[in-house]
This record gives sequence, structure tokens and C-alpha cells, in this order.
Amino acid sequence: MFDQFHNVISNVSETISTYEDQLGKPVIGVMPAYFPMELIDAAGGYPVQLWGNNMPLQMADTYLQSYCCTVARSVLELEMKGGANMVKAYAFTSICDTLINLREIYRRLFDKPTFELAIPSTQTAQARRKYLKDIVDSVTNGLENVTGKKITQKSLKEASEIYARSRELHRKLYDIRQTKPGLIKNYDFYAALKAGFFLPRTEHNDMLQSLIQKLEELAAPTSNRPKILMSGMVFDPIQTYKIFDEIDVHIVDDDFANGWRTASKSEFNYEDIYEGVTEYIFNPSPCCCVYNPDIDRHDYLLKKVKSSGAQGVIFWYVKFCEPDAFDQPQLIAKLKQEGIPATTIEIELSMTNFDSVKTRINAFCEMLEE
Amino acid sequence: MTDFKSISKMKEIMTEYYVEAKTTKEKPIAWLTSGAPVDFVNAMDIIPVYPENYAAMCAASHQSVELMEIAEKEGFSQDICAYARTDFGADISQGGPIQGLPKPDMLIASTNICKTVTKWYQVIARKYNVPLFVVDTPFLHDGMTNELVNYTMTQFKDLENFLADFTKRPFAHERLEEIIMLGLEASSYWKKMLSLGKTIPSPFNSLDTFIHLAPIVVLRGTQKCVDYYKMLYEEVAEFAEKKIGSIPDEKYRVLWDNLPIWFKMRRNSEFFEEKKCSLVAATYSNSWGGLDAFELDTKDPYRGLAQSYLGAYINIGFEDRIRYLSKLINEFSLTGFIMHSNRSCKPYSVGMYRLQEEVSKLTGKPGVVIEADQNDPRVYSDAQVETRLEAFIESMESVN
Ligand code: SF4
Ligand code: SF4
Repeated sequence: MFDQFHNVISNVSETISTYEDQLGKPVIGVMPAYFPMELIDAAGGYPVQLWGNNMPLQMADTYLQSYCCTVARSVLELEMKGGANMVKAYAFTSICDTLINLREIYRRLFDKPTFELAIPSTQTAQARRKYLKDIVDSVTNGLENVTGKKITQKSLKEASEIYARSRELHRKLYDIRQTKPGLIKNYDFYAALKAGFFLPRTEHNDMLQSLIQKLEELAAPTSNRPKILMSGMVFDPIQTYKIFDEIDVHIVDDDFANGWRTASKSEFNYEDIYEGVTEYIFNPSPCCCVYNPDIDRHDYLLKKVKSSGAQGVIFWYVKFCEPDAFDQPQLIAKLKQEGIPATTIEIELSMTNFDSVKTRINAFCEMLEE
Repeated sequence: MTDFKSISKMKEIMTEYYVEAKTTKEKPIAWLTSGAPVDFVNAMDIIPVYPENYAAMCAASHQSVELMEIAEKEGFSQDICAYARTDFGADISQGGPIQGLPKPDMLIASTNICKTVTKWYQVIARKYNVPLFVVDTPFLHDGMTNELVNYTMTQFKDLENFLADFTKRPFAHERLEEIIMLGLEASSYWKKMLSLGKTIPSPFNSLDTFIHLAPIVVLRGTQKCVDYYKMLYEEVAEFAEKKIGSIPDEKYRVLWDNLPIWFKMRRNSEFFEEKKCSLVAATYSNSWGGLDAFELDTKDPYRGLAQSYLGAYINIGFEDRIRYLSKLINEFSLTGFIMHSNRSCKPYSVGMYRLQEEVSKLTGKPGVVIEADQNDPRVYSDAQVETRLEAFIESMESVN
């Protein structure tokens, strides 16, 4: 059932090249996180999401110190090695200090256009709105210059429908995973999500749709294995999910920036692009990287854990990701206070040896079983 | 480091300041980031307290490691800025040179130095259950734009309302204007003082300025601060006039980029002196209304204020950083530049290797990047850093 998803993620460049030819649209590399893909689609671009990769880091180290996260280092590696030749321009957001400066590095090193959707960190709604208007205008101009096409009401409406359907399908898949624990292998689940980073959205939608149909017909296996929730910026390295599968624990929900935090977004408001972007960035799931005084991440996560039936939480921590690191101690304390075990597991996208991660996962899951 | 008489004055006013902050019964306490618009806070008679300054004090007095270890035990990762870790540790244990900072009644953070501070202050806001006001000063990828200045000014208005609500008093606009003027006056002395570094030999070195910048951070907007910088300026000007160099036989003149290595001030000072290398300009010391990267609007104080908070060196795009660094290298007759790749401070450091390449190419002056940290001696190696610096110093042509 999941072969075609696995196929995509083991042949990323080929997949992108094929669709690039087929669609005749410029490929836009989308950096983490929350750049609304609708805008790119509506401008006639082919968005491809770059959440980091597992290339060995060689060239990127010339410009990014070892204390930068491997998400940033590996996307730079990809461009420097020529692995992103098909990418015509890069879309950034300002979610962290590393990415803000990374954009500057790109502008000095490469000729490809870059644009940044700066995410405001102010609590004053009026200032935020006014500022976002300026930002959105500059981003859409940048996009339109690359694609040579204008974003119209019509193209934005179409794009918004495609992505609304996409996220709805994602949410269905999340729902099946939660209500039928064990039916979807952890490794398969994340492969299905990850394939969507590279496929044209309509293609991925069709694949998800038929997958969901099949899954809906199947009954939940009987299992009393531990159920957990994972939280972090990215769910990679994907191979690690084989470890979860081996010890047969069920990830019943997640709070990944490239997982649920994105899947939970509602339909993009195409009638008011500024409202659309604001809603998209700030709602409904809080993120360590987005300052939003209107939502309390503690309450949010606690509710999520309870409603998912998870018995414990793993913070999947990309080493050197400061925004995530700041939130964790208080969040963990809060969860523990509520009787929910929680732990942090440190990962790097470039890692090739998973022994210590495996030990940590094992130890945590065994503790849940006691 | 140079023996300026003013240092005792500085110690005196800093002590007075901390004593008041620690003992006040009636005035509220605000914790602020070093780049936050303190002028508004001062206008409402709220005492500003600077966790960054305190963290630096802890490191300079060699107490940062034990404090960071306390924070790390509570789960704060070694990956987060060492200032934050030092302060968390000091707050948990009420440790450090003055046994912790007085508890905050409110928090004000500005993003012009980093996004990290919004995370740091959220942790504190949750711990003490006090309000946090974030003044968003976005990164200037493409220089100072009207949109950004307006955005910042709108938030100043909101900050005024926030402070008025908090204190249940109308916002003191007239007082604010006085404070802005006092702040400008102090920074103009600071700026004049820093410009004296153009004298050959330089009458001070940047390690001095790292020490002497404390009042411009914490006491900006007060008469005391103006008086202090006037005194410092006059003293340094006298040195300059008499051509007394901060180090004997100044041979090399370099710029220091990024924060100091607070726990190595003495050793660094001796090292550079021995090599006859004077640090004469520093982007960090320039950041407090010193030598600005942009022209500021002096007719409209609000606008000028917004511009100066936005235009902090650490908040500007690489094109502007390169231009600014090159300008300093030329104006200060520098023979080279040192960039401190600071593990704690990503906004200041990420991209530095590229900046070094470009600035060297543009100015023809050698530059070096050293790997260190402003507050965490555990990730610092004397041997490694000094070997690199020695090679760099040898590669420079001497000034005369
Ligand atoms: S993992 Fe964290 S530090 Fe790295 S790019 Fe993402 S948000 Fe930034
Ligand atoms: S040292 Fe850097 S990261 Fe830390 S608070 Fe200062 S500006 Fe932010």
C-alpha cells in the first residue's frame, strides 16, 4: 500500500525532475516552516519542501559552523553540491536566527532569487496585520517575478482548494492512525507524509485518497502496545521509524512542524490574502518558533496528549535548534506534573548510526510498559 | 586594559544602580533585553534590569560555569545561548555576584538582537507569571525601509499603552522626550569616545570599551550616564592628545566582531598587548548608539529611535554588514580584523565565514575567525584560539 510513497522518497531528484518537465513550472525550494504553499502554486510555481536531508556534510561546513542545526546545514549542502539544480528560487520564513542568516548566506553565495515571509513577533494584532500586508506584497512580487505569472483571485482559489483537500486528507490519515493504532506502521506513515514534500499536490492528494480508502476498510489490529506522541520541528530521520516499528510502539499523534502543525491548518482564505497568511501562520497549532501570545502551548499539548490516548511524549530534538530547546524543560515539567512521562531524544539529520537513539527509544518505551 | 580613572566612577554608579534595583520597595522592576527600547520604561519610573549584563558579570567573575550547570540540570540544553543558561542558573540558585537579579514585574524583549530572546523571556514570563511585551524589530535584509520603521513606531505606541495600563498612570510623554535627549547625549559622548580610536596609537582598546559600555546599556536616559560618558570622553581625549597609546608600541590595529569572551578578558588583554596588537574598533561596543550603520532621523525623535533600534549591527543584512565593516577598517586605519564565531550567538555568527572572505577581499586586509563562546569556558580552548590568532597577527602588515 505504501510502496509508491517509499518509492518517491528514495528517488527524490528523479521525482522532481519528472514533474518539473511534465508541469513546465519552475521549482521553488521551500525552507522550514509555514510558508503557505498556496501562494507558490497560485503564482504558477512547483513548490518542493526542504526540511533537511541526510547527505554527509562536507561542503556546507565551510559556511555553517558545527553549532548550526543539521536542517540548515544539510539544505546548504544540497545546494552547494549541485543537488538542487532544479530549484529556481528559495522561499524562506523567519522562524529562527539560523534561517534568517542562512538566507543572507544564500544571497551572497548563489544567484538564485530568495524571498522571505517574515513572521511578526508582536502581540499587537493591528501592527502585525499592517506589517504582514507589506511582507505578503513583497513575497508575492518576488514569486511572480520568478514564475512570470500573476497571482489572481482565481488561481489563489484553485490553489487554496487543492491544499485544503490535501490537509483534510492528511488529517484523515492522522485520524486513522489514532483510532486504529498499529494499522499503519510508523515508518509507512511518515513516508506517506514525506512523499508529499516533493510531489505536485494533486498527485499526492490522489495517492492519499486511495490509500485512505483502503485503510478505512481495514479493522484495527488488537494491540496493547505503548502509545506515544512525538513533538519537534521535523520528524526525520525517517529510518528511525523502523526502530519504533521493531519494538512495536504506536505513535498515535505528533506535534511536528512538518507534521501535524502544518496538517492542522484550515483552508487558506483566498478572498483576503493577508488574512489568509495570518491565519495560516498563527493558527491553530502553536509552534516554538512562532510567537503567539494567544495560544498557550502547554495547554495545547496537554490536551493533545490526552485526546490522543498517548501514554508518553518524546521530544524529538534536532540538535542546536534553540527555539525548541527553550520550550522543552517547562513543557516536560508540566507533562510530568500531570502524570505523563516525557523525554527528549537528540537527533541529527546527518546521523548514520542509530544505536544511541535506539537505546533511548527502547528505554523510554520499556518504562511505559512497566 | 588601559588604566582610566573613570573606571572607579563607573563602578560607583553601577553599584548604586544595582543596590537600588535590589532594594527598591515601591518601584516596579522590568527585565529588558539589551536592545529593548528602555526609554519608555524609564519614562514611567520603572527600574530596568538587564539579564544579559548580569550574565556577563557572572562570566567575567568566573561564576558562569557553576550557574550554567544548575540550569542544565533543570533540563536546559547546552545548545542554548550561554547568557540565558547563566541567568537561568542564577535565577534558580539566586547566585552570581549580587545573588541573582530582583524579581521581574514585567518583561520587555526586542528581537533586534536575536529571536532567541523571545524564547528566553517566554520561559521567564511563565516562571514568574508576569506580562511580556515583545517589540518586534525584524531583520533588515534590505536595509532600513519605511515599512519597518512604521511597524516599529506602531509598537512603541502599543508599548506606551501597555506601560500605562500596568502602572495605572497616563504615559509620560514629556518625560520620554527628556529621556530620549539624555540618551542621545550620552551616546554622542560614547560615539565621540569610540571615534578617538582613529588616533594612532589608539588611546583605548576595545576590551576597555566592553567594560565601559555597561552604563550606556543599563543607565541610558539618565543624567548620571551623560556625566559619566562626558568624563570618560574627556579622559580618553587627553590620552589621545598626548598620543599615549593603550598599549606600548602599537604595531597592529584590529577590529573585533561579536561579543567579548567575558571569562578571558585578562588573558586576552595580556595576549594582545604582548603581540603589540591593539583592538581599536568593535561592532559590539558600537551597537549602543555608537557608530551607526545608518543615518538616523534626528528631527523626529520617535522615528530616530525606531531607526536606531532597528539598525543594530546584528540586525542588518550581510551587504550592509560588509559595507560597515569595510568602512570601519578604512576609517580606523586597521591592519586586520578578528571575528569571534560565538557558539552562543547565532545571529551574530552564522554566515561569518562568508563575511570574512568578502571583507578581506574588499579591503585587502587579513581577517580571522576564531571559534569561542562569550560565556561558556567549557567550549573554549586557549591553545586553539591563540594559535590561530598568532598566525593571523603574523600575516598582518604593521601599521607603520
Ligand atoms: S531545526 Fe530549529 S534551528 Fe534548525 S532551521 Fe529549524 S527552527 Fe531553525
Ligand atoms: S548572545 Fe546572541 S543569542 Fe544570546 S541573547 Fe545575546 S544576541 Fe541573543
